[in-house]
Amino acid sequence: MCVCVLYFAKSVELTGVKEEIVAVPTPISSRDVWRLLLQRHQRLSVLQDQVVLAVRQQYVAVGDQVVTLADGDEVAVVPPLSGG
Amino acid sequence: DAASTPTSLSRDWLSVQEVVDAVSSSSCGAISVFIGTTREDELDGRKVIGLEYEAYELMAQSEFTKLCADIRERWPTVTHICVHHRLGWVRPVLPWQISSPHRHDSQQAIQRCIDQLKANIPIWKKEVYDTQDSSWKENAECSWSTRNKSSSESV
Repeated sequence: MCVCVLYFAKSVELTGVKEEIVAVPTPISSRDVWRLLLQRHQRLSVLQDQVVLAVRQQYVAVGDQVVTLADGDEVAVVPPLSGG
Repeated sequence: DAASTPTSLSRDWLSVQEVVDAVSSSSCGAISVFIGTTREDELDGRKVIGLEYEAYELMAQSEFTKLCADIRERWPTVTHICVHHRLGWVRPVLPWQISSPHRHDSQQAIQRCIDQLKANIPIWKKEVYDTQDSSWKENAECSWSTRNKSSSESV
């Protein structure tokens, strides 16, 4: 599946990218999604244990949870929030 | 009737009056307002000269909707909720308003609104210093923040 990965805040600075299309197998654990992105952008490791993902605008912790992805789905890298 | 819940993310200067008008209602005797502003902070001798806000806008909207539903479930008398948040380069005013028939509910609701926004809405703030460097801030309310990784504190 080709998903649209969105980067925000510090993760943009670490990868140099705001958005990119990435091929991912499905179903896949959120930990494996994160590992895949780390392979593409090693500097993302700075955010290890301080990041969650958002799949189709729903938060998913990096871990064992298995997600099913479809072509065109948005997967966001979500550093710690600081709104308000 | 189902009251409206206008929320917005805007790159323009925010009007407090506009937000007040959005929640005013003849059935409401109380409006609680929270206005978030920038403090003129110093961090290790560096002065904050401005803030930059970034958002995952699509998801911020859906999370705002969930937040408002949460508020309405806890305080059914809450009538209107209006949240405006600046994006982009800011010396900000963030006016949030909640109206209800009596003040107790709207005061409690706005507290929860702020706490939940800081915990769940995908918005990020970067402080820019007079030394030309910058840092992304983290809310303690956010469960995956490093500020939450306390080692052995007892509550």
